[in-house]
Amino acid sequence: MSAVSMTAAVEDTPAQPGTGRRWSRLAWPALGLILPVTLAVGWEFVVRMGWASGRLAPPPSVIFATFVDLARSGELQRDTLVTLARVAAGFGIGVTVATVIGAAAGYSPWVRRLLDPSLQALRAIPSIAWIPLFILWLGIFEASKVTLIAVGVFFPVYLGLMGAIQSVDRKLVEVGRAFRLSDIEMVWRILLPAVLPAYVISLRSGLGLGWMFVVAAELMGASSGLGYLLIDGQQLGKPAEIVAAIVAFAIVGKASDWLIALIAAPFLRWEDVVRPD
Amino acid sequence: MLALDRVGKTYPNGVHALGGVSLDVELGEIVAVIGGSGCGKSTLLRAIGGLDPASEGTITLDGERIAAPHEKIGIIFQEPRLLPWLKVADNVGFGLGDRPKAERAQRVASALKRVGLTDKAAMWPRELSGGQAQRVAIARALVPRPQVLLLDEPFSALDAFTRTDLQDHLLDLWADAKPTLILVTHDVDEAIVLADRVMVMCPRPGHIFDEIDFDLPRPRDRQSAAFDFVKRRVLSALDRSLNRAVTGAEAETKTSAGAALWW
Repeated sequence: MSAVSMTAAVEDTPAQPGTGRRWSRLAWPALGLILPVTLAVGWEFVVRMGWASGRLAPPPSVIFATFVDLARSGELQRDTLVTLARVAAGFGIGVTVATVIGAAAGYSPWVRRLLDPSLQALRAIPSIAWIPLFILWLGIFEASKVTLIAVGVFFPVYLGLMGAIQSVDRKLVEVGRAFRLSDIEMVWRILLPAVLPAYVISLRSGLGLGWMFVVAAELMGASSGLGYLLIDGQQLGKPAEIVAAIVAFAIVGKASDWLIALIAAPFLRWEDVVRPD
Repeated sequence: MLALDRVGKTYPNGVHALGGVSLDVELGEIVAVIGGSGCGKSTLLRAIGGLDPASEGTITLDGERIAAPHEKIGIIFQEPRLLPWLKVADNVGFGLGDRPKAERAQRVASALKRVGLTDKAAMWPRELSGGQAQRVAIARALVPRPQVLLLDEPFSALDAFTRTDLQDHLLDLWADAKPTLILVTHDVDEAIVLADRVMVMCPRPGHIFDEIDFDLPRPRDRQSAAFDFVKRRVLSALDRSLNRAVTGAEAETKTSAGAALWW
């Protein structure tokens, strides 16, 4: 009898952690899907049953069909590319300027004293307030939009980089000095790696603001772009088109953020990251 | 030979941290610098390391003036100060940036083997224990084969067991190439276990108060009577440096091991 219970116990034990691990690998991430999927399926059901017209809030199937139609006609790709190009240009300009000024202000107390108060004052202005002025100065076409995005991207990157440089561990810089690094080596071997994690975070939040401001810029007047698709959907009373554009924004926004994270990952592997779960 | 001639340091804010320290250290000698806090012992070490150059006097190594970090002088800090973005092996090879890759790899491997951390070569510094990290720091400082190695309270952040372990390990490593060691510490036992000479410093401004020479055979038994005798001499000098007891005979009796715990 004891032999039987022994074998039973032995057989049981290895099975349990296996199922436990499978449960956590598949079901744990899926937990987050329950709410959106339930809502989508529920709304689809409600509209199908005729309990709601779904005219202003189209069910998922209609949105999907609109999305496919827009993609098939090439309109979605064209608008996405236009928006992407604006964000890329604004992000590129904003990051470049912010990196130069942020590095200078972080490195030199003189530059910081000279520029930081003005920049902090400008930062207090909600960036969207600049739109009318930018349109007056730069016209309603690309220049004003790209400038607005660049301004939005500038601040988080500037602040992030300046703060990161100022908080580089002085003790590690001293290690560099003890090993007689030249100025260039010091930047390359100590400062750059030390600053990189905070810089990447600032790039990602800058990019997030870039996406926010491209919407604002395109809502203010554009003849193409995903923001234009939003306005078009509103004016023609096509809510499915609006939601399709929102979905497109979500996809490209997330993808661009993921791209930065992916490029930075090999350089940040040393970080003591607390992994989820 | 490392020669200090009336080395002084006054900081820009007017603090006179070091006033006229003269000291000659032969190649291969181990000198411990001991004293209460604020006696300028770390200032002295940083001046020799060229990190905070002296404002008065001269420091020379084999006749060459030291005013900036020098390739023949290595330094080990109180904390390991490993670069967190470099693997252990790359940290050890940090000072060999200008050497060919093959030579670098070979010297790093032998240094890691010497400190018993070959299996940690591909790890990140954060994955090491405190003692292991300090061993990596020692390996990093020794890999460029310095003629003088400066140690600024290198084991004070470690637990007692790891500390004695690393003291023995340091002596073992020292025996390989016999560089000059200058060790700043506030641990009297550590000074006597490691050094040939103990310099006792005292503050306002920092200067050498007394020098205790002793010739104990190595390895030194921390429990032996001879060790205890040297310890008494050092502790009495420390007491006198703090004006606690004046007459020598009195100092002998008043001094207890507990006095070392004053700081």
